[in-house]
Amino acid sequence: MPTENLSDKRMSKFKNKGKEPMKMRDRRIAECVELRKAHKVESIMKKRNISSVGDEPLSPADNTDNKQVISETIQEIVANVNGDCPEKQRQGCQAARKLLSRERNPPLKEIIEAGLLTRFVEFLGRNDDPTLQFEAAWSLTNVASGTSWHTQQVVEHGAVPAFIALLASPMLNISEQAVWALGNIAGDGPSYRDGLIDCGVIPALLARLTPDAPVGYLRNLTWTLSNLCRNKNPFPRFSAVQQMLPSIIQLLHHSDKSILSDACWAVSYLTDGPNERIDVVIKTGILPRLVELLGFEELTVVTPALRSIGNIVSGSDLQTQAAIDAGVLSALPQLMRHPKSSVQKEAAWAVSNIAAGPCQQIQQLITCGLLAPLVDLLRNGDFKTQREAVWAVTNYTSGGTVDQVVHLVKCGALEAILNLLQAKDTKTVLVILDAINNIFLAAEKLGEVDKLCLLVEEVGGLDRIEFLQNHENNAVYRAAQALIEKYFSEDGDDQCLTTEATDSNFVFGASDLQKRFDF
Amino acid sequence: MELNDRNLQTLTEYLQKTLSPDPAVRRPAEKFLESVEGNQNYPILLLTVLEKSQDEVIRVCAAVTFKNYIKRNWRVVEDELNKISDPDRTAIKANIVNLMLSSPEQIQKQLSDAISIIGREDFPQKWPDLLSEMVTRFQSGDFHVINGILRTAHSLFKRYRHEFKSNELWSEIKLVLDTFAQPLTELFKATIDLCQTHATDINALKVLFSSLALISKLFYSLNFQDLPEFFEDNMETWMTNFHNLLTLDNKLLQTDDEEEAGLLELLKSQICDNAALYAQKYDEEFQPYLPRFVTAIWNLLVTTGQEVKYDLLVSNAIQFLASVCERPHYKHLFEDQNVLTSICEKVIVPNMEFRSADEEAFEDNSEEYIIRDLEGSDIDTRRRAACDLVRGLCKFFEGPVTGIFSGYVNSMLTEYAKNPGVNWKHKDAAIYLVTSLASKAQTQKHGITQANELVNLSEFFVNHILVDLKSPNVNEFPVLKADAIKYVMTFRSQLPKEQLLEAVPLLVAHLQAESIVQHTYAAHALERLFTMRGANNATLITPTEMAPFTEQLLNNLFKSLAIPGSSENEYIMKAIMRSFSLLQEAIVPYIPTLIGQLTHKLLLVSKNPSKPHFNHYLFESLCLSIRITCKASPDTVDSFEEALFPVFTEILQNDVQEFVPYVFQVMSLLLEIHTSSIPSSYMALFPHLLQPALWERTGNIPPLVRLLQAYLEKGATTIASTAADKIPGLLGVFQKLIASKANDHQGFYLLNSIVEHMSPDSITQYRKQIFILLFQRLQSSKTTKFVKSFLVFINLYCVKYGAIALQEIFDGIQPKMFGMVVEKIIIPEVQKVSGQVEKKICAVGITKILTECPAFFLGIFFFSIPDDEHFIDIEDTPGYQTAFSQLAFAGKKEHDPIGDAVGNPKILLAQSLHKLSTACPGRVPSMLSTSLPAEALQFLQGYLQAATVQLV
Repeated sequence: MPTENLSDKRMSKFKNKGKEPMKMRDRRIAECVELRKAHKVESIMKKRNISSVGDEPLSPADNTDNKQVISETIQEIVANVNGDCPEKQRQGCQAARKLLSRERNPPLKEIIEAGLLTRFVEFLGRNDDPTLQFEAAWSLTNVASGTSWHTQQVVEHGAVPAFIALLASPMLNISEQAVWALGNIAGDGPSYRDGLIDCGVIPALLARLTPDAPVGYLRNLTWTLSNLCRNKNPFPRFSAVQQMLPSIIQLLHHSDKSILSDACWAVSYLTDGPNERIDVVIKTGILPRLVELLGFEELTVVTPALRSIGNIVSGSDLQTQAAIDAGVLSALPQLMRHPKSSVQKEAAWAVSNIAAGPCQQIQQLITCGLLAPLVDLLRNGDFKTQREAVWAVTNYTSGGTVDQVVHLVKCGALEAILNLLQAKDTKTVLVILDAINNIFLAAEKLGEVDKLCLLVEEVGGLDRIEFLQNHENNAVYRAAQALIEKYFSEDGDDQCLTTEATDSNFVFGASDLQKRFDF
Repeated sequence: MELNDRNLQTLTEYLQKTLSPDPAVRRPAEKFLESVEGNQNYPILLLTVLEKSQDEVIRVCAAVTFKNYIKRNWRVVEDELNKISDPDRTAIKANIVNLMLSSPEQIQKQLSDAISIIGREDFPQKWPDLLSEMVTRFQSGDFHVINGILRTAHSLFKRYRHEFKSNELWSEIKLVLDTFAQPLTELFKATIDLCQTHATDINALKVLFSSLALISKLFYSLNFQDLPEFFEDNMETWMTNFHNLLTLDNKLLQTDDEEEAGLLELLKSQICDNAALYAQKYDEEFQPYLPRFVTAIWNLLVTTGQEVKYDLLVSNAIQFLASVCERPHYKHLFEDQNVLTSICEKVIVPNMEFRSADEEAFEDNSEEYIIRDLEGSDIDTRRRAACDLVRGLCKFFEGPVTGIFSGYVNSMLTEYAKNPGVNWKHKDAAIYLVTSLASKAQTQKHGITQANELVNLSEFFVNHILVDLKSPNVNEFPVLKADAIKYVMTFRSQLPKEQLLEAVPLLVAHLQAESIVQHTYAAHALERLFTMRGANNATLITPTEMAPFTEQLLNNLFKSLAIPGSSENEYIMKAIMRSFSLLQEAIVPYIPTLIGQLTHKLLLVSKNPSKPHFNHYLFESLCLSIRITCKASPDTVDSFEEALFPVFTEILQNDVQEFVPYVFQVMSLLLEIHTSSIPSSYMALFPHLLQPALWERTGNIPPLVRLLQAYLEKGATTIASTAADKIPGLLGVFQKLIASKANDHQGFYLLNSIVEHMSPDSITQYRKQIFILLFQRLQSSKTTKFVKSFLVFINLYCVKYGAIALQEIFDGIQPKMFGMVVEKIIIPEVQKVSGQVEKKICAVGITKILTECPAFFLGIFFFSIPDDEHFIDIEDTPGYQTAFSQLAFAGKKEHDPIGDAVGNPKILLAQSLHKLSTACPGRVPSMLSTSLPAEALQFLQGYLQAATVQLV
């Protein structure tokens, strides 16, 4: 049956079902082309601009879009910065920083094209003039917060070693500025991230992680660390991860919500990879704390904690079991009923991966009462959540025992997925048909096919499956047709296939017996 | 092929010829064109003719030929010849968009199709400038051009609606969005502005509204996979305009046509779909707009008329409301009593009304009406949509909705009562409303299985349904009568048995109604009632309870077949079959008359079989008549043969393909009833059954094998004595069947019957050949199915002829063959044999091999008895005869060819071992104890005890 082939192909994408363990994570990796707006929380975090502080009113020139005015301001800055007078340099730098701190359209490109970066980087080394250092660092931070091209300009002007050196500055505000700038550079992507690591950024950062460091400073530091954990292709190398992990774990126990959030994001990046990566995190013993964080009220903490847990349960059976042992199943029901649909979706995703495990783990889903909220999500979740919940049902029904499948049906999952056959998403429809097929296979084992047929028909499922036989997508219509033919066609005129008729007028007699028989 | 005038001329001539009605002219021309299409420049020549020809017909013909050429050849299949040269491909892609846009509409459509076929293969990688070329044309201001572009875009993008998400697909969509989304949005706004500028110019409006409809379709395709960033950012623009368009009405755009949807309707339908898409998938982002759309769509429904042309719009609009109202966070939009009342009153009730179009269908197109109404092929109808909305609303508001509708039902019934002749449609709507309100779950087999507890179905039956069923004039208000009958059928599982019994004679009376729908429903309702089960799995309605109505029932059923339009009514025929099956012996007195009518019917339909279901039930009814009658008195079989054989002969002589397999089955049934020798009439047919032509049709094979088996069972002796020359032909059939992997089991059925029933000497001369054929097949294509059948056969042979004879025939073909077969086939494969009788045959056969061939026992191998035990333990598996589920009522009983000879194979094993041990005392027990596992010995001990024998 066609659905079987499809399911083979797809199942290999779920952890232990496939033959090639390397393919387990395809689901997340495969989704790298996005049509949607990038997720707001994450995109904000990738790079950060420092807007002007409220108590420092901007001059009209700082806030205008008038090209003429801006250009004049920049000419003035260039003149000041390139001059030799420290006072003018400071003034110029500050003016530049103010321009770059506008919320709307800061003139990043204009500043770069005015050739100012060389001087700014030079100023970073002016330990004699902390104010100048600070203003230059701020300006460069904001330039680095732009697009990749902007960041590239900052790096190519040699800012990295200078910023790393500044981390050790005795002036906390300057060190903090360097932390920030480095965070922006690390957030650009794997290549700058590794460049920073090569330059020894990690020990320099960790040296500033002291108990007396103010919370504001620690927040920035945590965020920069998280960006150093971030991005794949390639992942940050193991040695770097090993260096950072103890501090990240330590930060995960901090009381500040913002620090917790970024530390959680760091963990989520580290666990978003192959099983060896997940193992490194699990070995730190952090799972119980992550589960604890799932119970927090702040969305900013719950989201990355849940993402981390979701990543971990998409690992091996053992890794999933570790998460289960840490109590994740008691935390999930509440998250599946969370008011934010994005949380519901992530929780359903985690459940779908646990459901892809062996039947012992499926049993734990039942024992911990996850089926009722799962069925609720199938019925009332938003579409993205429903889609994950459908995957959970399909995984569950393909790995669960007959009794477990029966139990799921009794909880109302069948009716709920049948309703979703109207979903305007081809993949979801196919996944549902696969689940239906699995449920029928269980019914066959019990000799209850007729009963199941009636149930499917009663809730209007038969109509919908029949309707899908007209679906434009071949896989869908074949799967629907196969179900109909196998279970719902009353008089099966299933006579023999056409035979290749030997050219025979039915004259009886064997052909020459030349060969020896050998069976 | 050069691009010159002469070639253009030739091509034009051939194109001309392809239009000829005379196949002798047309076919060679088509052949010629296909033979030259591989030449370079051929497509360019076609496009040149398309562009330059003065003859409009030739231009269209060239366009169609071009599109088909592209369809056949554009795709490059790996390892196959590239059928279009690269220069031609480049030239086509460079020119086709321009050409399409400058062509008249008929040609434009063909070229647009061609572009989308090419696009499917080449876009975007190999046709990178297509999109930008298209987008540039949006600026042209020429809406003929713009609509051409939009149509092409639609055919390129519509696959986004059903393909699976993949990186490749999404990269393409991303690219399309980057180039296309902004210009499309600009075009959308500009077009709407132009609609205002040209608000009074009907011709301009028509073009502009078709653009808007196309733009809305593109919106759907581009937004289907996920919500693109661009459209999220521009949601305000799109949704505000969509909303305005939904509420827009322009007198100029209203059409007079009642059937065909106008531009305005098409556009609004698509907008409803777009809104439904956003509501379902992008709920979070769409939430701010949703209430506005609910209101607009609801207003739209309230103001839209009953004409057929609005059907799609109305059903889409209602489906939108139905999908929104069952989502928990929109509950509040509906919960106000006034809102609910208004939806019920202004949206649901009017769309449940019986319209004149329905009335026409009821009268003139009853077949389609029945399919739609009874079998639920009404997905897109208003009534269906309205029912779905009722169900959706009942999710949260079952009580209030039921309350509101009860009021409506009562007032509609009051209206009806005031003047039934005029207001009968009110009662129809009332019944429909009750039905849709009460039905929570429904199946074909049982009708409604879960009902709304707030509706008292039984009371409604008594007060409003029974009146119509009892009405003395069955032909008055046929729609209401049909409704009443359908009510009984629909709620049969809910109504108490007394009420059903009360309805039965009334339904029987309605079989007489002139209206096709009405008497069809009556037949169908009776058929469904007769299949209901009561206590102990028996039928709910018993033959005794039916006794008072039996004659009337049978009379009316057959009479209704005479009503014009129902002569091949499958519902009636099915009801006849079901009545026979229910009534059993009670029908015997009527059979002499009825069989004549059935035979007559058979003769008529065999002239031109057109209703497969009707015909099937007709044959089933024949089988039932035969079985039921002959069960009591087998002698009557002759009179059935007398009645049926003339028709059967005609069917066979005229080779009515649809009926031949049925005839063979009925003949098998008849022949199997005979107790003495085979009648000569059958023997006369025997040679014909062996004709190869009959066996070429796969549908004939199972019934023919079964028939030949019946011949062998009843007439083996006669065949041997009077038709011995036909035995090779019979074996030829066997040979033909085992050559096929699909039919080899049928060949074995035949062979087993031959071995079982033919006397040994009549087949002696063929035995060796038979085995050689089997070995050849085993050697060349050893499938599990074949091996299983083979094992059953050789063991049957062993039981019948003895193990020594089996060994001799094997070894006579090739020395030591028997040993090889035992070792390579029997021992490793015998456990695969399934089926109760099959396993028994194997158990007995192997016991015989074991104990009758001392050579095996004493020397070569001692195979494990636990294997034996495995298949002696009888399982519940499919029978010896694989049933081919053709005629259910012609079914064959399971047959055990060694049932008389061997009752219990376990006892046989014990007795045989005992016999062997007395022949050579002392050897058997010692061999057993050294070579068998303890468990097996234990089993064996049990068998010996049961047989009260001991090994010595």
